[in-house]
Amino acid sequence: MWLAFSATFQRNYLVMKRAFPWSFFLGHILSGFYIIIFAYLTYFYVFKKDLSVSFSTYAGTDDYLSYVILGGLLYSFSVSLLMIASRAIITELREGTLEALLLTPSSRKGYFLGYVAQGLTRVGIEFAVITVTGYFFGLHLQNINWLSVIIVLFVLIVSTFSQALVLGSFMLYFRDTYITQNTLFVLMGLVCSITFPAHFLPEAVRWIGTIMPLTYGVDALRLVWIEGKSLSDILPYLWKMIILGIIYFPIGTFFIKRMEKYVLEKHFG
Amino acid sequence: MIEAKNLGKVYTVKKKINFFRSEKEKVNAVKGLNLTIGEGEIVGLLGLNGAGKTTTIKMLSTLLNPSAGKITIDGLDAVKDAIKVKSMVNMIAGGERMLYWRLTGAQNLRYFGKLYGLSGGVLEDQIQNLLEEVGLTEASNTPVELYSKGMKQRLHIARGLINNPKYLFLDEPTLGLDAPVAKQLREMVKSLAKNQGKGILLTSHYLKEVEELCDRVYIIEKGSLILHDTPENITASVVKNYHVKIESSALSTSQQNRIKQSLTGCSIEFSEQGDSSEMQIIAPFDPTALIISVCIKESVAIQKLELKRPRLEDAILTLAKEKLA
Repeated sequence: MWLAFSATFQRNYLVMKRAFPWSFFLGHILSGFYIIIFAYLTYFYVFKKDLSVSFSTYAGTDDYLSYVILGGLLYSFSVSLLMIASRAIITELREGTLEALLLTPSSRKGYFLGYVAQGLTRVGIEFAVITVTGYFFGLHLQNINWLSVIIVLFVLIVSTFSQALVLGSFMLYFRDTYITQNTLFVLMGLVCSITFPAHFLPEAVRWIGTIMPLTYGVDALRLVWIEGKSLSDILPYLWKMIILGIIYFPIGTFFIKRMEKYVLEKHFG
Repeated sequence: MIEAKNLGKVYTVKKKINFFRSEKEKVNAVKGLNLTIGEGEIVGLLGLNGAGKTTTIKMLSTLLNPSAGKITIDGLDAVKDAIKVKSMVNMIAGGERMLYWRLTGAQNLRYFGKLYGLSGGVLEDQIQNLLEEVGLTEASNTPVELYSKGMKQRLHIARGLINNPKYLFLDEPTLGLDAPVAKQLREMVKSLAKNQGKGILLTSHYLKEVEELCDRVYIIEKGSLILHDTPENITASVVKNYHVKIESSALSTSQQNRIKQSLTGCSIEFSEQGDSSEMQIIAPFDPTALIISVCIKESVAIQKLELKRPRLEDAILTLAKEKLA
């Protein structure tokens, strides 16, 4: 597994060095930036800092700007991560390298981990840029429990990676990336408490958020970032992300393997 | 040895009935195919488009699971022991796929080498040797996107050999290559089999290539085996006629009649060309010796003799015509 991991990490690093994916990089930063700007403008110029009581109750904070900026930050982080992992195999298919990859006896786990680990270096830069931008628009940066932030991010990465495997299977089945990924991303933006608490949504829609690791990740991050809560306070959120990861991972690996064979038959058979 | 027994592959394809409805249809791409490939042997797999050649290669190389039958490679089951089998085989296909264009030649080989579990000095030595063998040492640090088609194909070959496979599957390996590069590749294939003992399965639309390289040939049609033998035996069993063309001194009508009588069982056509004659003979055997003796007996001066031996290509064309009929 280690060789497949290091080989894929190195390969993607070299490819990124030769042709940096500027469109994805800027696109993700801009989507985070738009959320920040929109929140800032509406907060000051539309509802003029007048928050409803229910917002504070559901959101668990009165700091609306930090709430939305952190939502945008983690949404962008999650979308980037999902795109990196889920598009791996379909990109191989499109570039005509899938057969060569599947011919090898290499570990698929190592391959995906190498892919994601390398991608995280880019996602990390995006995260830092959005955080710094957010600071200038009101993101709270004091009394943050950084260890807890790191733990939340780590658990979210693992859980989102598992979810990405399932998304990748859908992409291979439909042989499409754009519609498949964006359908999920739009849903995530709506039901995962990114710009407003999901409690404002009708019950019939809200349940979708419960199967998204991002929902629990963003709630947990806000608690440790804005409210300075300890790790024990966010344990339920961490457990929910871990459970989702445990559910998504076997489903994703099973279907990815099936879809690999499926596309080989469909595409080249 | 690679052994495929009663190999079958069924694809399920969706057939569109109208905009909203489609129905599933089963297509038998390969049916009850038996095939063996020994060490050091080059085996051809021929058939018209859609015959099931590529599907067969993909099953043998573990890319696809068979729907029926069994494949064993040196006693290992290609489905159950797929991981072990993968390290023993490799595939080279024609065209420009299966390479990372943004990596250099050496980086491509390094990546694939690691995926086969190679590392350190062993991998670097293997990369250098292969680059040298395919003549890409100087271009080893150039990105593949800047390679010519021939260079990509040579790198493709190096990739197929990076794990030093015991068995190699070549699917149209000379597709679109210039004659000198294709010749070089044929030499390499011969050497891999004869000097390194690799078992090779080759599919190609260039039948002269198959005739030159293959010890045995399987001909499949709609997924079923229709012939299996050496190229010579297949040609002899399918193409019955030899064509001989002779230009000679002018022949009188009586000479023509006597020649006709002497060559019973052959079809002969005469034509006059100024002060010389031309004979077109079609025979179910090689009539060269007989026609020469008849010409000597008739005191006919032979100016030119052309014998067109039946080739594997003629055999395939004959089989295709029979199929169309």
